[in-house]
Amino acid sequence: METFKILQNYFQQLPIELQLVWILSSFLACIVITLSIYLKFLRNLLRKKEVLKIKLQHKYEGLLLSYLFEESNDNELSEHQNEFIKIIQSKINDDFKRKIIVETLLKLKNEVSGEIERAIQNLYLKSNLKEYAYQQIKSKKRYIVANGIKELAQFKVKEAYPEVKKLLKHPKKEVRKEVELYLVSLFHFEGLEFLNNLKVNLSEWDQIELLEELKHFENQEIPDITPWLKSKNETVVLFSLKLAKIYNKYEIVDTLIQLLNHTNQKIRLQVIDVITHLQVLDAKEILKNSFKVRSLEEQIATLKMFENIYEPNDEDFIIENSTNNNFEIQYSALKMLKNISEKSFNNLLKKNNNFDNNILKFIQNN
Amino acid sequence: MNTITLNAIIQVIHYLFFTYAFLAISSYIILSIISAFETIDYFKKNNFVDYTKILSSNIAPSISIIAPAYNERLNIVENVRSLLSNHYANYDVIIVNDGSKDNSLELLIKAYDLVKVKYLINPQLKTKPLRKGVFKSTNPAFEKLIVIDKENGGKADALNMGLNISNSKYVACIDVDCLLLEDALQKMVKPFLEVTNKKVVATGGVIRIVNNSIIKDGKLMEVNLPNKLIEKAQILEYLRSFLLGRMAWSRLNGLLVISGAFGMFHKKIAIQIGGYDTSTVGEDMEIIVRMRRQLEEQNMNYKVAYIPDPLCWTEAPDNYKTFISQRNRWTRGTIEVLRKHRKIAFNSNYRNLGLLSYPYWLIFERFAPVIEVIGIIYFGILIILREVKWDYALAFFILAYMFTVLLSLGAIYSEELTYHQYKKKGSGFKLVLISLIEPFVLHPFILYAAVKGNLDYFFNKKKRWGEMTRKGMGNITK
Repeated sequence: METFKILQNYFQQLPIELQLVWILSSFLACIVITLSIYLKFLRNLLRKKEVLKIKLQHKYEGLLLSYLFEESNDNELSEHQNEFIKIIQSKINDDFKRKIIVETLLKLKNEVSGEIERAIQNLYLKSNLKEYAYQQIKSKKRYIVANGIKELAQFKVKEAYPEVKKLLKHPKKEVRKEVELYLVSLFHFEGLEFLNNLKVNLSEWDQIELLEELKHFENQEIPDITPWLKSKNETVVLFSLKLAKIYNKYEIVDTLIQLLNHTNQKIRLQVIDVITHLQVLDAKEILKNSFKVRSLEEQIATLKMFENIYEPNDEDFIIENSTNNNFEIQYSALKMLKNISEKSFNNLLKKNNNFDNNILKFIQNN
Repeated sequence: MNTITLNAIIQVIHYLFFTYAFLAISSYIILSIISAFETIDYFKKNNFVDYTKILSSNIAPSISIIAPAYNERLNIVENVRSLLSNHYANYDVIIVNDGSKDNSLELLIKAYDLVKVKYLINPQLKTKPLRKGVFKSTNPAFEKLIVIDKENGGKADALNMGLNISNSKYVACIDVDCLLLEDALQKMVKPFLEVTNKKVVATGGVIRIVNNSIIKDGKLMEVNLPNKLIEKAQILEYLRSFLLGRMAWSRLNGLLVISGAFGMFHKKIAIQIGGYDTSTVGEDMEIIVRMRRQLEEQNMNYKVAYIPDPLCWTEAPDNYKTFISQRNRWTRGTIEVLRKHRKIAFNSNYRNLGLLSYPYWLIFERFAPVIEVIGIIYFGILIILREVKWDYALAFFILAYMFTVLLSLGAIYSEELTYHQYKKKGSGFKLVLISLIEPFVLHPFILYAAVKGNLDYFFNKKKRWGEMTRKGMGNITK
């Protein structure tokens, strides 16, 4: 008490600014002590949660396997199977446990196919887990909505289509992305119809996800992509060019040639890449004639294209570019020239000494 | 000078120190708050991202991992194995042996069945010449590996050689002694691919300390807190710096540095701006500042992104001598970069870069140790003059200490609520304990290294990198 009184007296006679500093320090000290003590509880909680998660994962995995391999008569579920469904239904409102159940179902679903995969999907539907996903897509929080759509796509819940489609023009890209993936994973190439009216950008990440999703389907017949190649949305054009390359769409060559004059350089570059892949000989003369007005990147891509499809009558064009200041163009041109005609190659070396020594040495020795 | 004038001068100096401290503390609070929002947002956004598609995709963009190596024989074989086991379809690993005097190259040749190959290098960036040449493996299992043996030119020169060699769209520049987690490339490339309204030109990752953790076959098996005080204190310092500081600067699109230990770049842009500067010891900061400066001058809408996932683990100095040498270099690097690009300072033409990031670094990073030392000297003079008001000194010292501890606790909480890497019982208590003593066991050495760095920069121009003695991750393995 004595000490406290001394401290109190000392504090009271301090100037106001010092009193404030001590009050603030004491306040911070209280927070430091509280946080230090709470950290122990937090870490214990996190550890317990992790242990519980592993325990529940094992439990649900066991129950799921019993459910899947239980013998049942006339398509009716056995008592054990119904019991598992009841267990799931009772955990639906527990976010933590529900998440583990869904993860367990998904983990096994991704490892199996055919009958068992369908059985897991049916279990998801019968146990009303989908109702929770429906609730999620009605949330106001974008990440919850996106998560709900993702789950519906993973369990191929086609009935959710009307609800999910409404979110196609959602202001948040996270939601839109999941809607697009839902459409493609459930309706395959038909699901790509959203591209017809897509006004916002389709990121490269989204494009890769969609293309990888499309690769899984047995039917690889893709619809006419010409309208998308002519889209005003440049990211749709870029995506369609990727489709053209992956699915070898030779029938769109005319559109590709038109796209060589697109205003966006990124598109023009990708067109040259697709043309190289499809080996469109018709594009050669167009590219040769417009070579000088094209950007450096396009010129490099054009020479790379020629490396695969050059012919003796391209010699003049190749000689013209063999003294190009750009390293890659010069290398491609000299390499092609040597292959077309060693004589022309040697003649050129005699006439001109405007070459990069490293390139010359490399080509002469290979 | 009469007493009234002296007192007036002392008052003014006090207010200047107070204002500086107040601004510094306020900036830390603001950055911590921004960082919390950014971290929450990052977690929500990436909570349900499916990385499996990108890892197996052939259409995912190509990435080259460039790792310069100088006398790294202790770790090199093990670390290359870890780099080769990344979960990404379209990547290669370029090891640039930068004139090592040890047998690093021979170890690599033996371990990975390397043979010399003919390789045409596009010399877009000037570098030191090749020494023994370019090597590739005859074993298809290591087809992603390219090893270049060149004359010694320093880390920046080796990275430039890697940029010349790479045929990929993106390059991940890392220290070869770093342990990269398997999903590192998928996560680092994501910002480049997902942002559509800006061009992402670089991505930085968090660096974590691997000392005393268990590594097996190039994989991190168990994360442990190190034994030595200096190592533990650095863990706390890294947590504060990466989880609180850089996360916030990323949100503000104001990052000025991406750690040289692990960063990813758009290769074309890195080459366009001239690659790494070989004349500075702060090449990792310099390339980012120059990149941003040039992009601002071109009026480009760009972003330097940052991701908080613990993807890259490195060995931290375990003794004060090496630690001081490392921090000395960091200080010199910061001074060099800020001086070289001083045109940016407070220049509204460079928007956020000129008005926010650069001034912050200049005032609160570059000048902080200088002001602290001036403060200590000033305090000493006041003691001699018997002008110290001890009640004020004690109160402000305790306030500053409490704030420092609170900031460290904030970083610990951020770690626990996000990645929770230090799972072992007792680790939490140890981290709290370290946060209480760190201001006394680490900060004085940081200050000493910074002062020495300043002196070396101005009076010992010949000083360059200094040696980092490695124990080798093989020794870390239990």
